[in-house]
Amino acid sequence: MTRTAKRVKINAQGTLRSLMRDYFLNLDAAASDPDRLVAWCTSVGPCEILTAFGYEVYFPENHGALLGARKISHECIPAAVGVGYCAESCSYMTSDIGAALSGVSPLTEAYGISGPPRPDLLAYSTNQCREVQDWWHFFGRRHDAKVLGICPPTHVGEVTDAHVAFVRHELQELINHIEGHLGRKMDYARLEQAVSLSSRASSLWRCVLDTARTRPSPMTFFDGLIHMAPVILMRGSQDAIDYYNLLLDEMNGRVSGGIGAIPDERFRIYWDGMPVWPKVREMSEKFFDLGVAVSASTYCNSWAFEDYAGGDPLEWMARTSTEIFINRSETFKQQFLIEMCEAFQIDGIIFHNARTCPNNTNSRFGMAQRLRDETGMPVLVFDGDLSDVRFFSTAQTMTNMEAFVEQLEGRLR
Amino acid sequence: MSEALYVGVDVGSSATKCVILDSAGSLVGHDVVSSGFKYIDAIERVVSGALDQAGGSREDMAACVSTGYGRKHVPFSSRVVTEITAHARGTRAWDPEVRIIIDIGGQDTKIIRIDGSGQLVDYRMNAKCAAGTGTFLESIAVKLGMVLSDLDALARKSSTPTVVNSYCTVFAGTEVIERIKEGQNPEDIAMGLFRSIATRIKEMIPSRDGSVGATGGVVEHCPAMVVALEESLKCEVRLAPMPQHAGAYGAALLALESCRETGSEVDHASAG
Repeated sequence: MTRTAKRVKINAQGTLRSLMRDYFLNLDAAASDPDRLVAWCTSVGPCEILTAFGYEVYFPENHGALLGARKISHECIPAAVGVGYCAESCSYMTSDIGAALSGVSPLTEAYGISGPPRPDLLAYSTNQCREVQDWWHFFGRRHDAKVLGICPPTHVGEVTDAHVAFVRHELQELINHIEGHLGRKMDYARLEQAVSLSSRASSLWRCVLDTARTRPSPMTFFDGLIHMAPVILMRGSQDAIDYYNLLLDEMNGRVSGGIGAIPDERFRIYWDGMPVWPKVREMSEKFFDLGVAVSASTYCNSWAFEDYAGGDPLEWMARTSTEIFINRSETFKQQFLIEMCEAFQIDGIIFHNARTCPNNTNSRFGMAQRLRDETGMPVLVFDGDLSDVRFFSTAQTMTNMEAFVEQLEGRLR
Repeated sequence: MSEALYVGVDVGSSATKCVILDSAGSLVGHDVVSSGFKYIDAIERVVSGALDQAGGSREDMAACVSTGYGRKHVPFSSRVVTEITAHARGTRAWDPEVRIIIDIGGQDTKIIRIDGSGQLVDYRMNAKCAAGTGTFLESIAVKLGMVLSDLDALARKSSTPTVVNSYCTVFAGTEVIERIKEGQNPEDIAMGLFRSIATRIKEMIPSRDGSVGATGGVVEHCPAMVVALEESLKCEVRLAPMPQHAGAYGAALLALESCRETGSEVDHASAG
């Protein structure tokens, strides 16, 4: 079925494009200015600390996603495999390392810059996965730059004061190391400001995502993949806050006007796991044609943190970096998914079993079946990958998606 | 126009099948051809063959539903459904007792679970590789200088099947060569390959709450596959009357039903 209905364009996208351009051009300028500092940071890492020290912060995972979205990951990965990185380890990592070894970057075509900015420091948190540690160390060796990181507890059920105290201590140690490295002290007032801005941007992003609780959904998971960029790349800046105020106004307008991202929305689906970056457009079009709104996702919610209400900024950072979904126990995750499905009026759940991303795949230990049994909702698990298309079959996946919708249609009869 | 005919076309990765029903739902024509490189040629040939058998012509086609991997290539289709829906419908009509359908195709294997009313409850497809599919068997048969029917005939003489461990077609091929070098019986090795697929399928069926049926070209042409499935699942595996045509039959039934629902004898999308 191909629908004749047209997509409703999100107007804020023009502003986003300029923001992204400014962000990367600023990073590029900072990297070539001896008086400015650039740090690389994991996407849910301690970026507020880096900002408070005056670093311009770059996020390599974004580059990994761009390599996938621009369909060049599979050309880069062999170079990383050639120097000993397993082809079945994180394809963000292998494509990013391979891109560096091959001298390739989507930033060149998009912004006219040579590629990622040269780092003065690389900081990571293993709250998402341990792969980031080795990924960062590769670039630390390549650029002869210091690598620092924190390792919060993983698979956490209830986040206790002990967890928070432990991570807070790690963050304090990180600050101590950076102070030693730079030969100057942390400006805690600046850290508090960065945390406050970060929290505000994150809260607004959550409000944007929450507009999709209404029927029809004013935006989908696929829109979220584009518009989540500021909450990752510009966290701790006023720009991100201004952008999400703008986007939220537009989405609230859609809600008031009953305008859905999918005209004549028939079904609402929850997406768990990573996107398939090289196939985002095809999948978005497939769901559009099927009249299905992918209304909510675990992935886009990964940057919707708790509000900062003042007080110790390190404690807020420790708590948020421990509380994130990916870091939690199976029991917590299952309950979170159930609550999300209720809140967003979901008809069915799709789990992406990403071959090279076990940490962000939640269907490997029976959760899909348990959810189906507990909620009675149809679930689908499909095999793919976040960036490496060699682990993805378009025909098989599209059949899976269409059959899933046929299953939902059958439930209406 | 003489009698209205309802057409189901299943364009698979290996074979294209067609089933034609009359307005009473009786099967009046069917055919199967190799899909080859050009789906459209296969579609033309298979529909012509089935129409000849039905004694009808293109003008008699009241509705057509297409399914299979090439389902969107059928130019005269009035509705497109996935193989999952088509096999569920076809098998349900042929055997209402079946609740779990194992469809072993050339490109993939599907496990389809339906309830008492024929409603699709759940389904699973094999992971993205040839493991557990018809292609797995065909590739190894070629490696051994045989065709699939030779492999089946050999397997049916087995008394002590060899265990083939690898899911990967390439590694399984290597394993077969190793077993041959060790002097194991070709019959037992051949049955080991069918058992390997059956084991893979068993993993995809976590529980059984009704009769199990099988469809697809592999079970139609390889009785050894059915034996391996029954041994692995420890239950009877019921075969549709024309297992390879189950999807096309389901599609033809959906074509007939779509006209009955609208009260029209002709679905104009296909008749046009």
